[in-house]
Amino acid sequence: MDDDLPTDFQVIVVGTGMVESIVAAACSRIHKNVLHLDSSDHYGGLWASYNFDGLQKFIKEVTSDPKKQVQVYNLIEQWYIEKESPPEEEKKEGEAEDGKTEPPKKIWSQANFASEYRKFNIDMTPKLLFSRGPLVELLISSNIARYAEFRCVTRVLTWLNDRLMPVPCSRADVFATEAVSIVEKRMLMKMLTSIVGYNEEEMDNEFKDWNDKTFKEYLTHKGLTPNLIHYVLFAIAGGTEDMPCLDGVKECKKFLMSLGRYGNTPFLWPMYGSGELPQCFCRLCAVFGGVYCLNRPIDTVATKTVDEGKTVVVIESKSKTLNCDHLVIGINECPKDLVSPEPAETCDISKAVFITNGTIMKSEKEPLTLLRFPPLIEGGGAVTVLEVGPATGSCPKGLFVVYFITNKVTDAETDLKPYAEKIFDMSGGDQTVESEKPKCLWSLFYNVKDTSAAVESAVPCVHVCSGPDAGLDFDRAVHQAEQIFKKICPGEEFLPRAPDPEEIVFEDDVTHGPEFEREQEDEADGDTSKE
Amino acid sequence: MAKTYDYLFKLLLIGDSGVGKTSILFRFSEDAFNISFISTIGIDFKIRTIDLDGKKVKLQIWDTAGQERFRTITTAYYRGSMGIMLVYDVTNEKSFENIKNWIRNIEENASADVEKMILGNKCDLDAKRQVSKERGEQLAIEYQIKFVETSAKDSLNVEYAFYTLARDIKAKMEKKQEASNPPGARSGAHQLRANEQQRKPTSWLSRCSVL
Repeated sequence: MDDDLPTDFQVIVVGTGMVESIVAAACSRIHKNVLHLDSSDHYGGLWASYNFDGLQKFIKEVTSDPKKQVQVYNLIEQWYIEKESPPEEEKKEGEAEDGKTEPPKKIWSQANFASEYRKFNIDMTPKLLFSRGPLVELLISSNIARYAEFRCVTRVLTWLNDRLMPVPCSRADVFATEAVSIVEKRMLMKMLTSIVGYNEEEMDNEFKDWNDKTFKEYLTHKGLTPNLIHYVLFAIAGGTEDMPCLDGVKECKKFLMSLGRYGNTPFLWPMYGSGELPQCFCRLCAVFGGVYCLNRPIDTVATKTVDEGKTVVVIESKSKTLNCDHLVIGINECPKDLVSPEPAETCDISKAVFITNGTIMKSEKEPLTLLRFPPLIEGGGAVTVLEVGPATGSCPKGLFVVYFITNKVTDAETDLKPYAEKIFDMSGGDQTVESEKPKCLWSLFYNVKDTSAAVESAVPCVHVCSGPDAGLDFDRAVHQAEQIFKKICPGEEFLPRAPDPEEIVFEDDVTHGPEFEREQEDEADGDTSKE
Repeated sequence: MAKTYDYLFKLLLIGDSGVGKTSILFRFSEDAFNISFISTIGIDFKIRTIDLDGKKVKLQIWDTAGQERFRTITTAYYRGSMGIMLVYDVTNEKSFENIKNWIRNIEENASADVEKMILGNKCDLDAKRQVSKERGEQLAIEYQIKFVETSAKDSLNVEYAFYTLARDIKAKMEKKQEASNPPGARSGAHQLRANEQQRKPTSWLSRCSVL
């Protein structure tokens, strides 16, 4: 079936990660002829979401193939529940479905997970969007937003005085918080108001002496109480003790600027997981004529100089030769000799996924939570936790999926298990017992090589895309995609708004000249839609 | 702005390249047929609002954008779809055999209760026919899916097909509502729009000014 794959393109994109997909969409949108390939049978690469079956396959693939362990390693999967449900429980479950009444607490077995595998969407790279961040703005301005749906993060939590505490984001939260006194609330307000209010000049003035000091020193200097410093430093700025002052201010401002657009917190979560987002960009690329082919590994990449000194990239893939003016390639698919120089050694990422039978902190409606842990281990980093429930399309009813992300110190399990034990009951055992902490039913620890640093390619017409970073949002990916696009298409607009279908007028009754067919094609490309 | 419809259904067209998905879409949405549509380029979805038993039903019909060509339909394409038209070409045996693969693909990716219908398109081309109507019917019985032969070119059964699928979805939906089981899972999710109604207090400042 691959045989009728065309061979000549202006741009070939290899890998369907976030950066690659944005570049593919941007090129196709301005009518570059684009081919988009991926060596695996699904979209997203390391940015993918998997259902439970797909995840099992991924785990098997990684553990059986040493080559894959360059990217993902130290993978440990663990069950905390029985293989099969006891027979009487099965009956009860059937009754519940007919009678529409929720059973008090379902007893989950591994078999239940297998039979409901499709209801899981588990992210390899879970990330949030800032409501006024670059990705949200790009999705709206390009009209790619129509391919995705989002949910608001309902609360931001932190770990303070050995318990979970909500961080006041909205007025309602402030009222609900008992941990902060009225005086402290005023102090906090004044501090945050000033950060939001500074223009560039004022900012330079205020912080001119803080360049080499930490954000914590600044907050202390401002007279904030330890509790408030905790909120601002760890929960709002997402920092650590040694976060530089200006970074802290910037992170705070970003957080505050995104408040009040969609929900009570500054964050959005993509329905069905972060892995949907690269696909949305791929869809736009396809709508504008991009050709898609998965399961298509490339064998070699070479460059060839043709007449007039023009360089073309020649790719061998499954005994077919593909030619293009520009190759955009994900770092993990990229032949080593194209990368120059070798990217500097960076700190890898420790990640974990947990599936639990309840939320980490009860709330009226189904919560969607960002929890930021301050470092609890000597020398460790802050830990970001995202808890998503069935309403996000991440898991079946009655369960929650919880992601943990931090910079690697030892290995994923050592780095993250102590944090998980703070908020989950990881002892297995009776699932019906009511307790403070939800039961952990399944867990996965793994390390990911950090390939997020920008990498120069050895050849000008080859553009290398970074892998996912440990950060909370997609901002670096969006920024890099735009940079790559500008190199390929200098002076062109980056993802101009795609017309709505209603705006595409098919002028059936208009008399066209002899070029009717070509016009029709252009029209279908969305070209004539603006009138 | 007042809603101009009672129901909004997201429908998908699925099937091999060249079976006439885009032609069917254009016949239904624009009442037009243009033989020069060879592949699906630039068409995202089309909208047509129909009247069903006094209710305005807005059909949003999505085309594959050519991603079916090498079987690379995104999982995102299937999200939230309520009805799927499985299309094959009666003059192309292979496209008929592939319907089974597409059904498998749907089972893997679409919601379990999505309504389906099989269309044998290009039935005007009798001289080139490779798949008999009986075989189409047989397949439909096997999967318990409704079936009709269509011709986007001659405007045969295209209206009928969409009305039938829409009616089935509406009936299923109303039955669900009667069982007083509002679809809770998806409510609360939203799409981002440029003219998103901004909540009045737009900064921390104004939100917390009471302090």
